Amino acid sequence: MTASFTDPNAALSPELAARDDMINCRGVKKWFGDFQALKGVDLTVKDREVMVVLGPSGSGKSTLIRCINRLEVHQEGDITVDGIELTNDLRNIDKIRSEVGMVFQQFNLFPHLTVLDNITLAPIWVRKKARVEAEATARALLERVGIPEQADKFPGQLSGGQQQRVAIARSLAMEPKIMLFDEPTSALDPEMISEVLDVMKGLADSGMTMVVVTHEMGFAREVADRLVFMEEGNVVEINEPGAFFTNPNSDRTKLFLSQIL
Amino acid sequence: MAAIQDDLSMNLEAGGVAPDVRPDTPVKDPVQWMKENLFSSVGNALLTGVFVAVLGGLLWWFVGLVFKDSNDWDAVATNIRLLFSFNYPAEQYIRVWFSLGMLLGAVSLTAAFFDINPSMSVRKLGINASGLGATSLIVGVLPATPSGARIVFLIIGALFLAAGVGTLQAVDEPHKKFVSFPTMLLTFGLSVVAFAWLVPIGRNEFANGAVIDEGGFANPSTKIPWTIMMAILVGVYFLARAVKPMLPVKPVQTFLITFWVAGPAFLIFLVLRDPTFDYDRVLKVDIPWAIGFAVVGGAILYWLTKPMLGEIGRLVAVALLGVAVLNWVAAFFGWWSMLQKTRVSFLVLALFALAAPTFAGEKSARVRYVGAWVAVVALGHWLITGINTTSTLDIAAPPFLGGFTISLVIFYYVMLVSFPLGAIMALARTSTLPIFRVMATVYIEFIRGIPLITVLFFFSSMVSLFLPNGMDLSELAAIFIGYTLFSAAYVAENIRGGLQSVRRGQFEASDALGLTTSQRTIFVVLPQALRVSIPNLVGQAIATFKETSLIFIVGAFDFLRVANVSIASQPDYLGQNLVGLLFVSAVYWVFAYSMSRASRSLETKLGVGSR
Ligand SMILES: Nc1ncnc2c1ncn2[C@@H]1O[C@H](COP(=O)(O)OP(=O)(O)OP(=O)(O)O)[C@@H](O)[C@H]1O
Ligand SMILES: [Mg+2]
Repeated sequence: MTASFTDPNAALSPELAARDDMINCRGVKKWFGDFQALKGVDLTVKDREVMVVLGPSGSGKSTLIRCINRLEVHQEGDITVDGIELTNDLRNIDKIRSEVGMVFQQFNLFPHLTVLDNITLAPIWVRKKARVEAEATARALLERVGIPEQADKFPGQLSGGQQQRVAIARSLAMEPKIMLFDEPTSALDPEMISEVLDVMKGLADSGMTMVVVTHEMGFAREVADRLVFMEEGNVVEINEPGAFFTNPNSDRTKLFLSQIL
Repeated sequence: MAAIQDDLSMNLEAGGVAPDVRPDTPVKDPVQWMKENLFSSVGNALLTGVFVAVLGGLLWWFVGLVFKDSNDWDAVATNIRLLFSFNYPAEQYIRVWFSLGMLLGAVSLTAAFFDINPSMSVRKLGINASGLGATSLIVGVLPATPSGARIVFLIIGALFLAAGVGTLQAVDEPHKKFVSFPTMLLTFGLSVVAFAWLVPIGRNEFANGAVIDEGGFANPSTKIPWTIMMAILVGVYFLARAVKPMLPVKPVQTFLITFWVAGPAFLIFLVLRDPTFDYDRVLKVDIPWAIGFAVVGGAILYWLTKPMLGEIGRLVAVALLGVAVLNWVAAFFGWWSMLQKTRVSFLVLALFALAAPTFAGEKSARVRYVGAWVAVVALGHWLITGINTTSTLDIAAPPFLGGFTISLVIFYYVMLVSFPLGAIMALARTSTLPIFRVMATVYIEFIRGIPLITVLFFFSSMVSLFLPNGMDLSELAAIFIGYTLFSAAYVAENIRGGLQSVRRGQFEASDALGLTTSQRTIFVVLPQALRVSIPNLVGQAIATFKETSLIFIVGAFDFLRVANVSIASQPDYLGQNLVGLLFVSAVYWVFAYSMSRASRSLETKLGVGSR
């Protein structure tokens, strides 16, 4: 084994290795004031790969994926998304944001708009779609996430699980190539978690490139192509699920797994 | 709420057990209630006693004030027309009725198409009626009440009390039964009509310097129009409800919003003012200019709303803004002359051009944007032409509006203009660009530090001194500008409070979806901020409304001046200030109180504070 276990291309199956890179992070460093949240992250996500990011609280998981669509600005290193380099050029940022969808822990639906309007807002004003067309797409997406009958309600009238599925539909309406998930089920009651995870599995099966921060180990084991373990702003291990859970390379990973499993 | 109901019905379908009905909070019998709340202890009983004594004393004093021997209420009754519409010529009064009819019709349409239907529980209705009746009875027995009025108060009091208590007794579970909005509207309309036809309030008129004052019933010239007004109010409502299912609701709503923004200007300048259009000039100059702006501007805007136009679009918009500003500078220094509406049109076009990238989209969105521009040009040019045409009204003392009308108009326009201005200022103050932030902060803090009356004096007397020759501003316009600039600073602060309450996640979600900053602001942040600001904004609107009486001090013939100066200096009513002031207070109170009630139900409807 030549590559180290934090090599961005570690543990790639031959099939994945042959695909294009969708996201490339090289030496990404990020400070909040004097506090360094990312200490030089190298990561590659392949086309149609599902990557799950694990790590203790405060390890920089959210910060990392938020850097990928520029919700946070990194200070050093390069991030390339689908061949577009993330720089201060506003046009590149717009282009990347329209290719990358994001789902938040707190859903962040627009409370003053109906479910349908939540989903059609960006397609109409960013993608410049006709309203009729956008609404048809939105209804199809609601069908796909299993809540077609909620189209005319307001977010406040839905359960948490339903809201998170609307949020997923809202992101999908922009037809992104990549979806980022930041602990999408952490704010949900236990009985609603599976309905959201099912939608995400369906999405993974359909070939979406996904980066998922989660504490749902079952999901990670079943769906992920590779797992990334982070600690204190560093990537500690990148591995495929089987090896990650049964025989991790790093002692840190072992410790983490022993604490949560 | 709806979600819960769905769950319940699902449970039932699935064979679940029907849930228990939530038990009612029992409605207490009044004696019981008084025992528990007013006389629960010796201290409480004492406090209640003191409070009742103070309240009774105040009422006594107030009734004495109203029925003072030296008061001549004919001063108000005779001058009603002066109070509400100042010098508006009697033979042209049909124009006033027409305007009022339009407004009432619009109120009904708005209620019907925006589903505004406040309702009141029968219990509340009963309590209000009883309270009113009891108060009236107390006024009836107070010694200060003159014997003629005493009997009226006693009868009305007894009727209301009987009706209120009777309703509460006769209806079971009155807190669960509601009087619907149509019923209230119908009752209101019928009461007004009945009052006009049945109550012998006398015929009072002040014509050609002499008072016509005879007993009996009101003039037909008052009775008949009021009957028609109420027929419009009620009839339009029921008609609108009947045809609503057959009409597309969205366009009607858009039309109504347009009416509330633009309609009053039309009523004031085109209906009430009755300009005599010079049709030759209209055909040769005005219409060609309007068409020119509509077509050329429309073409430019259609191009500017093309998606992904990029930098060039922004350059064109800024260039247009440059031309627009230059036109005003030129006017100020007299470099070249130009029709006023051309200047205005250039400015509005520039604003449309600047906003174009935000509203860029596919064809139908672009056509709609151009349509909005064409509508603005058509309405704006018509209005400006009307304003600049001489009026046929033969009024001795301009302005042609005065009394309560001018107070209302000033209030309406100050709010209409200071709202968007304040919103822009609030956004500027929270902007990340330091120039905007500093400018907005300086402006807001400066204005908030000086009294309104200073601003009004400055604008009414000083501003015209600084204007170059040939450019003049009517005193009323100057007052309006000053008041608007003042009010905008407060609106800005209220909206800023709302902006700060919008959660960070909303910004992040918008950014993640790729919305531009202005799209994020217009579609996501502002609507939520405004909703939170409603209570404060309404509070400020009420203050603005009441403070319109300050324009009295800078010499406008507003409601207060008519009551306190014009009437009190009529030979017949010399020194009758008190009745005027009481009347003005009563009218202001009715309007301000209605506004605050309306805002409370609006808050409930929008769910402010219960998110
Ligand atoms: N806006 C911010 N300002 C200052 N420090 C921040 C900010 N956001 C994150 N941090 C810090 O950066 C570190 C990494 O945070 P991050 O949210 O990425 O962690 P995480 O791995 O997502 O943790 P969790 O599982 O709790 O969500 C933490 O120590 C956090 O306190
Ligand atoms: Mg996190």
